[in-house]
Amino acid sequence: MTSGESETDDELVRRAGRGDAAAVQALVARKLRRVLALAERMLGDPAEAEDVAQETFFKVWRYAERWRPGAAKFDTWLHRVTLNLCYDRLRRRRERPTAEPPDAPDPGPAPDRGLLAADVGRRVNAALQALPPRQREAIVLCHYQDLGNIEAAELMKVSVEALESLLSRGRRALRQALADLASSD
Amino acid sequence: MTEDRFRALAEAYGADLRGWPPAERDAAQTFTEANRDLAGAILETERSLEAQLEAYIVEPSPALRQRVIDIAPRARAIARTWRWLATLGLGLGLAASAVAGAAAGFSFAPASVTRLIEGPPASSSDDIGMLADPTDDLVNG
Repeated sequence: MTSGESETDDELVRRAGRGDAAAVQALVARKLRRVLALAERMLGDPAEAEDVAQETFFKVWRYAERWRPGAAKFDTWLHRVTLNLCYDRLRRRRERPTAEPPDAPDPGPAPDRGLLAADVGRRVNAALQALPPRQREAIVLCHYQDLGNIEAAELMKVSVEALESLLSRGRRALRQALADLASSD
Repeated sequence: MTEDRFRALAEAYGADLRGWPPAERDAAQTFTEANRDLAGAILETERSLEAQLEAYIVEPSPALRQRVIDIAPRARAIARTWRWLATLGLGLGLAASAVAGAAAGFSFAPASVTRLIEGPPASSSDDIGMLADPTDDLVNG
């Protein structure tokens, strides 16, 4: 069997659980970027995000043989594992206030010096990390991970109304933080 | 749909109506068609923010990709070892229980042991497909 794009996540997980190297590679090709992006945008630290991505996939490989299709959507489970690992790290940061915090994202050059896409990216990262974690999570899930409101609310264990409020407040804060970029376009 | 509701939805879910709650999309589309300038201005504000957000790109490195692939065999081996140890532990537990039961005059194992040997019910939190909190079993590499 090939590991084509038409194969479902469940099928790939089941084959990966049997030690099928092609399925392992196909799952990584399909999901790693998504997992890494979620972790990096939640944590704001590329090195920590890589650790979380590795830990997440370690769990995937470890549980793949016992995966039961239909009981839960694999993508939802993957998001939940990644988010929980991110929150473990955010909690540890709070509990160890004397530990050296991760490097603050570089806010980049002043607008009048011209902005490259990478500079804007750094500004966005800084603005995201300045948000309260739950607002950041809502924006990352709905905007970057493209989850629907019901799925995102379930993952966050909040009502759809609460999700909407988190999204609104988060986006408003981002708009304010990035206002100078809009005016320099 | 009122202007306030349209604005609230745009501020929460962004400029693309396809990302709005399905139950409100039709009404939002109708509002957009009936109030082109107003709806256009509201959505444009959100579109501008989203263009900025898209500049934050994350791509996995080839090295990370390879590391994630390389840990698969070890993770499977650990999972199998744990399952083997669990089975062995349960087997020993059952044997010990049977001996103790025989000594005490019972001819059957306690229900708790029987349950363990038969495995958890389908809705158990040990079932990966049903995990409520899938990281309860933390992996440290």
